[in-house]
Amino acid sequence: MTSYLIAMATFASIYAILALGLNVMWGMAGMVNLGIVGFYAFGAYISALLTVNAHAPIALGFLAAMIGTAAMGALVTLGIMRLRDDYLAIVTLGFAEVVRIVAENEIWLTRGTDGISGIPQPLKHLLGADFNLAYLIFCLVIVALTLFVLERVRTSPFGRVLRAIREDAQVAAFAGKDVLKFKVKAFALGGALAGLAGALYAHYTSYIVPEIYVPLLTIYIFLALTAGGIGNNFGAVIGAFVVVFFLESTRFLIGVVPWLSAEQLAALREFLVGLGLLLVLYARPRGLMPEPLPRLAGPS
Amino acid sequence: MSRLITRRGALLTGAATIAAPFVITSPGFGQTGPIKIAGLVSLTGSGSPFGPNSRVAHQAVVDQVNAAGGLLGRKIEYLAEDDQTNAEAGVRATRKLIDVDKVSAIMSVWASAVGSAVVPLCWENKVMLLGISAADSIALLPHQGYFVRTQPHTELQGKEFARFALAQGAKNLYLIMPQTPFTETVFKAIRDTVEPKGVKVQSTIIDGKKTSFRSEIDEMVRATPDLFMMGGYQAENIVMAKDLFRANFKGKVMGFAYGMTAAFIDGAGKDAAEGMYAVAEPSPAGGSSAYAALKALVKRDTLDTYICQAYDHANLVILSMAKGKDASGTGVRDNIRKIANNDSAMKVDNALDGLKALADGKEIKYAGASGPCKFSDIGNIIEVAFRTTQIKDGKLVEVKI
Repeated sequence: MTSYLIAMATFASIYAILALGLNVMWGMAGMVNLGIVGFYAFGAYISALLTVNAHAPIALGFLAAMIGTAAMGALVTLGIMRLRDDYLAIVTLGFAEVVRIVAENEIWLTRGTDGISGIPQPLKHLLGADFNLAYLIFCLVIVALTLFVLERVRTSPFGRVLRAIREDAQVAAFAGKDVLKFKVKAFALGGALAGLAGALYAHYTSYIVPEIYVPLLTIYIFLALTAGGIGNNFGAVIGAFVVVFFLESTRFLIGVVPWLSAEQLAALREFLVGLGLLLVLYARPRGLMPEPLPRLAGPS
Repeated sequence: MSRLITRRGALLTGAATIAAPFVITSPGFGQTGPIKIAGLVSLTGSGSPFGPNSRVAHQAVVDQVNAAGGLLGRKIEYLAEDDQTNAEAGVRATRKLIDVDKVSAIMSVWASAVGSAVVPLCWENKVMLLGISAADSIALLPHQGYFVRTQPHTELQGKEFARFALAQGAKNLYLIMPQTPFTETVFKAIRDTVEPKGVKVQSTIIDGKKTSFRSEIDEMVRATPDLFMMGGYQAENIVMAKDLFRANFKGKVMGFAYGMTAAFIDGAGKDAAEGMYAVAEPSPAGGSSAYAALKALVKRDTLDTYICQAYDHANLVILSMAKGKDASGTGVRDNIRKIANNDSAMKVDNALDGLKALADGKEIKYAGASGPCKFSDIGNIIEVAFRTTQIKDGKLVEVKI
């Protein structure tokens, strides 16, 4: 059981970094990115290809994944600068599908639907059976560092401008802020985090394949952020852990409802995930941990 | 604003989160209790038409053996996990089966991507994986013998399509398949066999997740092929068959047997599916007794290849454990070829007969419902017999080619 909990906590940490990335784009800057899984895939493939094909050190793979996805984030923003809300959501969803389909079909580069196996795992030969625990600690440290940095970002003037753009980009522009520049930076930062999460996943499971990167994963991350609290970094992390806990704990329902068949249970699990989100949003419309907004001084 | 989450609340929630799975599971068996084996089956996602059947076959075999007194003096406990036909979800499900349930063998993983993703977990934890996944690359991984599969690898299937095309006298062949780990292998095997004989071959790879293939079908119809390979899974084939019907295509149509099931006929409609051929279905030569035994066991008139393979997996695991008197994954690995490849031994077609024979000190050869079940060193099946069926009046009828 311990090693199972370690594995699930590792998955939750990776989801948490993805949720933190989404929080920068959506929570802070108000840009709906339904293509977060595309950045996740891009980061995973950059690191996997560099370390497997070019035998680059894993650290370089992580760095390249972050830089590559940051650049991709900036490029995507330039392409979508005139879009808002629903249109932005559709285009970013399309972006993620393009990444997946390219990975599926450019077999010479990505090995297509065979996927890339044998992705090196850091210090696996030294750690042996302790690898999983060590990797979890590594992931948790990265989550903590990301959380620290993003909290600084959130409370900085940069974070304030992002919130201003989220509330009304025209007013922010009127106040002299270069809205596009801030949006590019937010997408690059969020993209870099998604790329980092992708690389963490690739080097943990040592196998990636395009079909992992389906919109369902994006929905899980949106679920995590919505349940945790949009705009709240701590909420994003808590939300990711809650989602993984929910997804996994429902496996054990068979012990509680033995009269249901495995097929009914599989369907029930998906139903419960939806119901769970509805209940959270009903009881806590702003998530488990609402965004801490600075108090405005009222009229004296 | 008041603080909605207090530190004490957060600590309690965290502790409850970690403790809950222990509480919910309330394990009733000790580790020395039942022998645990599992099915990693697709109960949701694109593999969901097949996963439930695999589970039924596994459970039926396990129930049969338990009713006859169990295995090595212990009961067998069967668990099924849903891989959601997705590699990432498959890894999480496998983690649970290996780390929490401590199973010795995992059976009937269907999607090749899931098979590729979970096989490293299996060999690292010395758990035997019996797969349906057909991608040639899986068997080439360094799995140390912890992987075998009963589905013919895809090159063999491609050659069978080529044989069928030549037998039908095709001169202009058009192939459509979604991008899968075996698309290229199948296309290559067909081209390499039929092109030297003067058959023209054109092919298109589609994105299987689309909801319409109208433009691809129109393009195919414009090429006026006399034989069209509709190489999708069941869901894609249903859409393509409807598009073919609308386009009034008059040529012959063939597809993988796994994509042309009874559910396909229901989905596409009898008229649209009429006359199509389901090719490359692994089948026991000359009608096996295992096939008949499985029909009786699950009380069904027709069986697809996957339920047959799942039945074989459960029998193979149980008999391997009995042969080596070892219920671990390594025990299955070390003994599976002793009961599967030994042609000179007494043939058995079910676990009960096999257990009796082994108890009497006899050597056995398990001959399955899906085929002869003989494995190479890297885990591929060595011998395979294929059959072809045609949809006639809404039913799949075996035809000779």
